Amino acid sequence: MTAATHYLQKLKAPPQGKLMAGQRRFAYASLAPVLLYMGFFSLLPILWAFVLGFFSYTPIREGSWFLGLGGQNPFVGIDNYIELFFGDGKPAEVFRLALLNTFMFAALVLPLNLAITLPLAVLLESIGEKLKTLFRAIYFLPTISSAVALTIIWAYMYAPGWGLLSLLFKAVGLVPPKSWLQDPAAVYYGVPLAMICVVVAYVWQDFGYNLVIFVAALQSIPKSLREAARVDGANAFQEFWLVVVPLLRRTILLTSVLTVISSLQVFVIFQLLTRGGPRNQTQTMLLSIYENAFRFANNLGLSAAMSMILFVIILTLTVIQFRALRTEWEY
Amino acid sequence: MNPTPAPRRLNPFWLLGKSGTYAVLIVGLVATLLPFVYITISSLKTEAELRKTPPDFFPQQPTLKHYTTILTNVDISIERNVMNSVVVSFARVAITLFTSSFAGYILAKYHFKGKNLAFGVILIQIMIPFQVVMIPNYLIVVKLGLIDSLWALIIPTMVDAFGIFMMKQFIESLPAELMDAARMDGASEFGIYSRIVLPQMGPPLASLGIFTFMATWNDYLWPLIVLTTPENRTIPLLLVWYQTQHSSNQGLVLAASMLTLLPIFIVYIFAQRWIVDQASQSAFK
Repeated sequence: MTAATHYLQKLKAPPQGKLMAGQRRFAYASLAPVLLYMGFFSLLPILWAFVLGFFSYTPIREGSWFLGLGGQNPFVGIDNYIELFFGDGKPAEVFRLALLNTFMFAALVLPLNLAITLPLAVLLESIGEKLKTLFRAIYFLPTISSAVALTIIWAYMYAPGWGLLSLLFKAVGLVPPKSWLQDPAAVYYGVPLAMICVVVAYVWQDFGYNLVIFVAALQSIPKSLREAARVDGANAFQEFWLVVVPLLRRTILLTSVLTVISSLQVFVIFQLLTRGGPRNQTQTMLLSIYENAFRFANNLGLSAAMSMILFVIILTLTVIQFRALRTEWEY
Repeated sequence: MNPTPAPRRLNPFWLLGKSGTYAVLIVGLVATLLPFVYITISSLKTEAELRKTPPDFFPQQPTLKHYTTILTNVDISIERNVMNSVVVSFARVAITLFTSSFAGYILAKYHFKGKNLAFGVILIQIMIPFQVVMIPNYLIVVKLGLIDSLWALIIPTMVDAFGIFMMKQFIESLPAELMDAARMDGASEFGIYSRIVLPQMGPPLASLGIFTFMATWNDYLWPLIVLTTPENRTIPLLLVWYQTQHSSNQGLVLAASMLTLLPIFIVYIFAQRWIVDQASQSAFK
């Protein structure tokens, strides 16, 4: 750097610095309210939920100035968590069932979802552009619809005796169950029938997401790779299992994690289709949290502890997802 | 050797594969549409026909009676509830579009200390599931005196971390030269946002707006927690209430469900491409 340019830069520096300072001020002034807002409605609540999990708390009881904790809402350490995992109170018992049910639900939804969306995406990829757009739009229709309305529709489909599903069963010569959603004795291979019904209705509602994601991912795969497999004499199934699936493994992993995360948070369909029944066979974590906190108005500390357990599970999955995102895959 | 696709088309296996493809796709189509179609048809049946066992698939005397009953019934506050949903949805869309694009612009185009920290806070908010903060948020809303008011649906959601993230990604791709030129011409920093950046953001704002609208219109759990009086209900709450009131009158409930689905279907017909494209990118964000 010569002395001249150095001098010129020095000359330029003050006004530019002033300009930059003005821009910085503007940035701080604009972003500060946004961040404060997020702090108030996101960070404060997450910390609050965490703290609440260590208290026995009911809003109507007199507490201290600090979030109403203390006083008649005493600190109980990890008692809420001990109660949830080992206690014999009714909410804790239901919650442990709910924990297992939630995992069962996710474990059933994921393979069924992938078994539908992956092959369907490959087939969809292979047809003409116009038809593809039309099919895609229709498959995606349930995902944009009101979950409440869809659940009412499914309740009607599952109506015993004259519901559409019973009719379809009869039409193909099968004996439909007496009650789809309310018979606690109907259990197949350890899975309650009501749970199967919720899984089917949910996968129907939700498969459109993964489908359009897979179609987009397939479009980004170099055509030459699949053509090479064809030339080498691979049939359609070999092409699918040995070329398409391995090439999509990153997308499949990501969508799998997303599917599991969202199936852990399903609410509407459980609350409106089965209400957790029969005999808590479809009780889930979120339903337990909601019912304890807002329907039975139990100890909110216990509900908060439940929600922290759900949070830890979801956070673990999110971390896995970010790890997977960071891994670079080469075609 | 002929490399053109013509010989391949004549291959019987290829033809078989092609028709098999369509067969599977159409089975999927029927399975997707069947519940919608069945409910639409059933909502046109008379009460007597709905109770018939086994029922006919098609109504013998189709009637719009259930729809007219719902729309002319004065003793429930349907109008009020629909307006609630409309007002809340539009307020949330407008506010979300503004806060997301403005904060996204600052994060994309300004350099300042603590920017990474700010961005970190936003990423954390994206990762926090609603269910975890729902209890404290309820307590906050109670403390603020917003319980059982539409403000409880609007105020806690005025800043959308995902929206900010999405807008930031887009604004980063806009050339900085435009903004610098405007600055040279004496534009204020806010003027650069409103007159240079905003006009170029049509597509991403449209996507975010549509998604915010659908999410608000269909939202159920949060309104269920914070709204109690009948006049303050939004449409999904009204629908659930209606179902419990008319459990013996299936036709009314089905017609009400169809009416709930209709506005979103209309939006979808026009914005289908945007919505699907946006959703298909969501895994790669």
